[in-house]
Amino acid sequence: MDLRHRPEDEAFRAEVRAWLHDHLVGDYAALDGAGGPGREHEGIEVRRAWERELGAAGWIGLGWPAEHGGRGATLLQQVIFHEEYAAAGAPGRVNHMGEQLLAPTLLAFGTDAQKARFLPGILSGEELWCQGYSEPDAGSDLAAVRTHARLRDGQWRIDGQKVWTSLAEHADWSFVVTRCEPGSERHKGLAYLLVPMRQPGIEIRPIVQITGTAEFSEVFFQDAVTDGDLCVGAPGEGWKVALGTLAFERGVATLGQQIGFERELRRVIATAHETGAIEEPALRDRLADAWVELRVLRYNALRTLAGDPTAAAGSASVAKLLWGPWHRRLGELAVDVRGVAATVAAGAPYDLSEDQALFLYTRADTIYAGSDEIQRNIIAERMLGLPRG
Amino acid sequence: MEFAFTEEQEELRAVVRAFLAQRSRSEQVRAGFAPATWAQLIEQMELTAVALPEAVGGAGASFVEAGVALEETGRALLPAPYLPTVVGATALASAPLLQERVVGGAVVALALDAREPARPVAVARAGAGDAPAAPTHLLDGTVPHVLDGALAQLLVVSATVDGEPALFAVEADAAGVTIAAQPTLDGTRGQATVTLDGAPALRLSAPGEGAAALERLAGVLWVALAIEAVGSADRCLAMTVDYLRERVQFGRVLGTFQALRHRCADLAAELEGARATAHYAAWAVDGAPAELAVVAPLANAVCTRMLLHVAGETIQLHGGIGFTWEHDAHLYFKRAKASELLYGTPLELRRLAARRSGILEPAVQAAA
Repeated sequence: MDLRHRPEDEAFRAEVRAWLHDHLVGDYAALDGAGGPGREHEGIEVRRAWERELGAAGWIGLGWPAEHGGRGATLLQQVIFHEEYAAAGAPGRVNHMGEQLLAPTLLAFGTDAQKARFLPGILSGEELWCQGYSEPDAGSDLAAVRTHARLRDGQWRIDGQKVWTSLAEHADWSFVVTRCEPGSERHKGLAYLLVPMRQPGIEIRPIVQITGTAEFSEVFFQDAVTDGDLCVGAPGEGWKVALGTLAFERGVATLGQQIGFERELRRVIATAHETGAIEEPALRDRLADAWVELRVLRYNALRTLAGDPTAAAGSASVAKLLWGPWHRRLGELAVDVRGVAATVAAGAPYDLSEDQALFLYTRADTIYAGSDEIQRNIIAERMLGLPRG
Repeated sequence: MEFAFTEEQEELRAVVRAFLAQRSRSEQVRAGFAPATWAQLIEQMELTAVALPEAVGGAGASFVEAGVALEETGRALLPAPYLPTVVGATALASAPLLQERVVGGAVVALALDAREPARPVAVARAGAGDAPAAPTHLLDGTVPHVLDGALAQLLVVSATVDGEPALFAVEADAAGVTIAAQPTLDGTRGQATVTLDGAPALRLSAPGEGAAALERLAGVLWVALAIEAVGSADRCLAMTVDYLRERVQFGRVLGTFQALRHRCADLAAELEGARATAHYAAWAVDGAPAELAVVAPLANAVCTRMLLHVAGETIQLHGGIGFTWEHDAHLYFKRAKASELLYGTPLELRRLAARRSGILEPAVQAAA
């Protein structure tokens, strides 16, 4: 991919920037970028309304083909959109599961009827999605899922439990990996089902995490139902579909994510000036290092996006292994530049400052979406070709 | 920007890699500079001509091509003065006759300050000797740590003239030039101390432009060392992975032990990030020269530190054999430390890049 910006790309950037400038006002602007990992519980209703605004203006599904209601934007234009979005401090998206994960999966594996039924709701921002993958005994080891589904009288009936589901209580639908062939093991006999969240057979229990807030939930399925034709791919082929979704999990949003990181870093540096920590040579060097390594993240993302053939298989794992620990170190810096003042909470009983929340939440960055240890396994096997034990 | 390499660049990489696999093997690296190999690099592959203009017989390509070659010479630890020659050639734009000589195989060495390469090392005064072309000045000074200095035909020297920095070209065999080879920790790359005592010199940079020219030369040098380090580290990791795939202990191939696999994965991640940074920096030399002041010291700091880490782990993961003189791991480890310490340490260069970016300044915060 040629990352040189052509005039039409600059025009596209100007269009995005102008739209954000005109629409990111009032309640939307007041959120100041709230939402996203670590802050999914903040400002939900305003963010839902914002998602509909984005949909009405055609900013959802930018890269989808026009026949499915997308804009057919180039990869570079999608990158530009995410960069401008993050630079403007726009709210964390409430439906990235729908737009970034489910929709590409439907485009690749779904039936025409499934596409016609679900893509419009994602494009308009009306229907929100959550992901039903992890289970108590199937975290990093996704193939160990036990939640099972049986087709009876034209309906799937589902029993089991999912966990670490973000935005579960706000989502209308979930894409759920289930075992549809009794007695099947590992990657075989799985079904990728689309399941309505608002039904008597589903119970949602929020998980309070180390930040004291809850953005993930446990989801219990007890004779939950969904229509027989809402299986993506053939029953039994769910593993292939689920892996397809995981492959979409990272990509064009990466450069936008890094602009968000830079905003956070600049905030920490500003705090270091306020507290005088910037004068402490060791802290100053750590801040400089954080900036240097953020540039490395950026060059790495540019190289991956450019389709550099020397960027070998496993580059998504490399990116995760670079940014997860980076963000965690930034979280540590955020409290270190405040020093002892960071030991007191902003309010009772456990109201944390943004810096304290960053310090705690970033411990999740090296666990979710494939822990660092899983990423290392992937790199060792697929990139380096080391034999399995 | 264009990040992916073109087909021609990939072809260049393959050709150079295949050549060096034959002519820069372990025993050849240990034997040191081989004039016949250097001649082949010049005559068959025209490697010193890649980034020079076509008017002087160059290939008219960009520094990206030089970077492709440097990654390969770093991989093979080629014991030849390619790096100083290809870097020095970028400073010769005002002297086409000298560029022609580089195309023809003249070795260039860089007589720069080995701690702060953008700070002039010699002092120039007006006067003319008898070489090269039309000498304009006489230089005085002592310059230690000149890489491959003993092999040089031409020296690019930084000096103060009329109170400002400037770049000069000096013939290595001119009167007033003494070059004394030094034994080095990194046995794969020589150093010399160059003494200039009224050495006749041609001024390369125009008055008022010397500081920028010297700054740019320092930037290109930082980038060259960075990308060379990436090639070296790639070889180290490949060597280590190959070994872990074969070596059996406790009845198992070592590469199946997760503790070792994970360490290799961490090295790969660090290497890939550094590689992307070095490639970006090599592109920036011609593609975004305004960014060089920041990206060059940054890339050098990131890549040379990475190489030291990878080369150190290469010794550790090979166990006892990795500590022997016979094994190549130490060649890379020593190269790594020398590359780190020369022309500014990673700590100094990270600070420099951060300072130049303005990221740590309060004013930038207010504007953000």
